[in-house]
Amino acid sequence: MLFFSMAWRNVWRNRRRSLLTVGAIALGLAFNIFMRGIGDGFHDQMVDNSVRAEIGHIQIHRFGYRDDPGLNQTLPAPQRVAQAIRSLPHVRGYTFRVLGGGLASTTENSSGVQILGVDPAQEQTVTTIQNAIVQGRYLDSGMQRPILLGERLAAHLKTSLDDKVVLLVQAADGSMGAELFRVAGIFRSGAPEMDAGVVFILRSDAQTLFALGDRITEAALLLDSSRQVPAALDALSKGLTGEPVEILPWWRVEPFLQQFIQIDDAFFYVIVLIFFVVISIGILNTIMMSVFERVREFGVMMALGTRPRQIIKLVVEEALALGLVGIVAGSLIGSALTQYFARHGINLSSFSAGAAALGITSSRVYSELTLGNLVYSNLAVLAVVMLVALYPAVHAAGLRPVEAIRHV
Amino acid sequence: MCESRMVLVEIRSVFKTYHDHVDVHALKDVTLHLERGSFAAVTGPSGSGKSTLLNVLGGLDRPDAGNIRVGGTDLTAIPADQLADFRLHHIGFVFQAFNLLPVLSVVENLEFIPALQGVSKQKRRRHARDLLKTVGLEEVGSKRPNELSGGQQQRVAVLRAIMTEPELVLADEPTANLDSANASLLLDMMERLNREKGVTFVFSTHDPQVVRRARRVIRLKDGAVVADETQTPVAASIST
Repeated sequence: MLFFSMAWRNVWRNRRRSLLTVGAIALGLAFNIFMRGIGDGFHDQMVDNSVRAEIGHIQIHRFGYRDDPGLNQTLPAPQRVAQAIRSLPHVRGYTFRVLGGGLASTTENSSGVQILGVDPAQEQTVTTIQNAIVQGRYLDSGMQRPILLGERLAAHLKTSLDDKVVLLVQAADGSMGAELFRVAGIFRSGAPEMDAGVVFILRSDAQTLFALGDRITEAALLLDSSRQVPAALDALSKGLTGEPVEILPWWRVEPFLQQFIQIDDAFFYVIVLIFFVVISIGILNTIMMSVFERVREFGVMMALGTRPRQIIKLVVEEALALGLVGIVAGSLIGSALTQYFARHGINLSSFSAGAAALGITSSRVYSELTLGNLVYSNLAVLAVVMLVALYPAVHAAGLRPVEAIRHV
Repeated sequence: MCESRMVLVEIRSVFKTYHDHVDVHALKDVTLHLERGSFAAVTGPSGSGKSTLLNVLGGLDRPDAGNIRVGGTDLTAIPADQLADFRLHHIGFVFQAFNLLPVLSVVENLEFIPALQGVSKQKRRRHARDLLKTVGLEEVGSKRPNELSGGQQQRVAVLRAIMTEPELVLADEPTANLDSANASLLLDMMERLNREKGVTFVFSTHDPQVVRRARRVIRLKDGAVVADETQTPVAASIST
């Protein structure tokens, strides 16, 4: 306690210098917390948009479907799958789909498309496609062969509401399937690939088109939060033991998204590292100056019987005191900033095209303050401060008392 | 009590040379004995080796040759990291420039060494306040060193040196930065501690007043002992 009390008082011997250092630590930490908060919010929005647009948090297929997504790879035991999903906690909804490829044609044009056959009521519990309708309306089981087209696809096919669109496919039995659909709605998801290449039809129509009977190719489910995915994966694996299924989290369904987040994180860490190096030099400078100014004092302390490791402890505790004040200030500033932008968001409307390409369909990005961010940021700053303090501390402990006492 | 138990410090054939641009022989074949309860002055011209003698005696520096035993412990034989421990428990230091720790109050400065020794806060604080009272400094206990006069600082430094009742107190030019009145006050205090508590004092000095007050005077010249005299000290001129 005596040493920490001394350390605390030593820190404030040169108030201006210490305040500058505390300010640098606080700003560095606040920057780190805020940037991490923006990154977390940005990534969560990307994931949430992708998950809610189509893929869901988890997808279940017949084993091998991901590598060879043919119509002969239908989902085994859908009733058991449904039961396993329903027994999970935190499930917001699930949907059974038929997926297949085909050609969409109008009198004006044609385009290769991915066809999603969905149950409209079930699908609404997983995806938000119904909210993306910009013309017409969402699918309804009572409609006669309705089809939803993306805005880009509709433009390409030069079609509009109530127009006819023919879907031409190769069915599961090898025959050619063709059906006439009528445009019920046009959606704008914000994701260019989806808007240009995905159509939604009723699941029963898809089963007829692909000659699948009552079989389906995919189950997708939505959880309350993406943080619950690992636990749900475990539970599903146990619940579907023995069934030839593959259970895929969103990051395996959309590996590009996961890779983008990892690269973005790596880029963030490089920026933070550079920032920390600059701050470290500032802290090192402060502690070195403080040590050099007190050489005689260290000499006296050692002459009186202070052991070298106690000198190291004193200098490190001084750095710790500086660091703790900086951490408290930085955490408050960083948390306040992050919370402000979590509530009000950052306007990205000027970059909407680029943001949409990254799966951000909202004009605002909202930061997110997590306990993990605060804890890791604080620990990182604390570790940097302690590490930086070691060199001057060891230098002070290595002084020879007989020489240090005479230091002027 | 037999003679060997009366001897506190034994210095045998100690040599110390500093290697700078030229070799400086700071101590040359110094052999001395100091009894417990001594009140001894080491004197001599500048560069005669006074400070070097006190440094090797206090374990702050090591001789090139020879042996130094303090209270039976051979300081030349114990490892460097144990010397700090030895100083902590057996030797008190008083420096020319007072060298109180500026961020600690007077009482906390007195508590510093016992705190290192692990003495409880309550016990060491009570002892510090008692000591301050004995020399009339009880009112400055909560002040910082820079709020005290030079004389007061040096008296506090002496109290710090004797807080844990070490066997030996080494004072390097303790009166060099004091006026004669304050120097006299300091010597009075050291004499009283020597007389009443049996603290052994060895101080290096140029100051004739200090030399006159010592019971034993060791004169050095060019690193060698040229005289070692016991004398009847002159009585204190100012009492505390």
